[in-house]
Amino acid sequence: MTFTIGKVASLVHVTPDTLRYYEREGLLDPAAKSRGGYRLYDREAVRRVRFIKEAQQCGFTLSEIRALLDLRASDRACCTDVRRVAVEKKLQLEAKIKAMKAMSKVLDRLIAECTSGSGTLNACPILMAFDKGVKEQANES
Amino acid sequence: MRVELFYTPGCEKCANVKDELKATAEKLIPDLVWRELNVLDELDYAVELGVLTLPSIAIDGEIVFSSLPTSRQLCGELMNRVKMGA
Repeated sequence: MTFTIGKVASLVHVTPDTLRYYEREGLLDPAAKSRGGYRLYDREAVRRVRFIKEAQQCGFTLSEIRALLDLRASDRACCTDVRRVAVEKKLQLEAKIKAMKAMSKVLDRLIAECTSGSGTLNACPILMAFDKGVKEQANES
Repeated sequence: MRVELFYTPGCEKCANVKDELKATAEKLIPDLVWRELNVLDELDYAVELGVLTLPSIAIDGEIVFSSLPTSRQLCGELMNRVKMGA
């Protein structure tokens, strides 16, 4: 059984452009082309797009998803390999959360410093802090 | 000196190599502290050090190898640190 690009797109709730993009990124290939040159996909393609979407929900980038799909297709890979990739992704996410928490703490401080609602912009502690470099402050805290 | 190996359980690559690395390091640095940390049990500490790939090796709290080194690479790094500390 084959599906047109529009049918696959509606089944997995993405746009046809997204499917073409996945194809350009090497993540998805049509099973065949119709006589008119239209892409035709099989059930495996639908499953693959669902896989891509779920992995994206867990923070994986398209290139990381490509590696996961390669692992899935590899005879030599095992569950431990996939688990390691998942643990590494968790480490990346936790590092991002930590960095964002530090940024949020800096914003808490800046908001607390900005008590006057009628001061001039030149004296605005938030704008002045951005001039000095909020990133540096986040790293220091 | 403190060497910490961050790993994820079930990693065959780690299991095969870590004993050899540990023996090499302990032979070179007699008072060396060698720790093997399951990254999921020590997640906060791993994130604090900046571990992003597994396995990784930190020396004295600094990530030095983001994949398993050879014994020779580890020895070289340890010797450099001994020289710098001397």
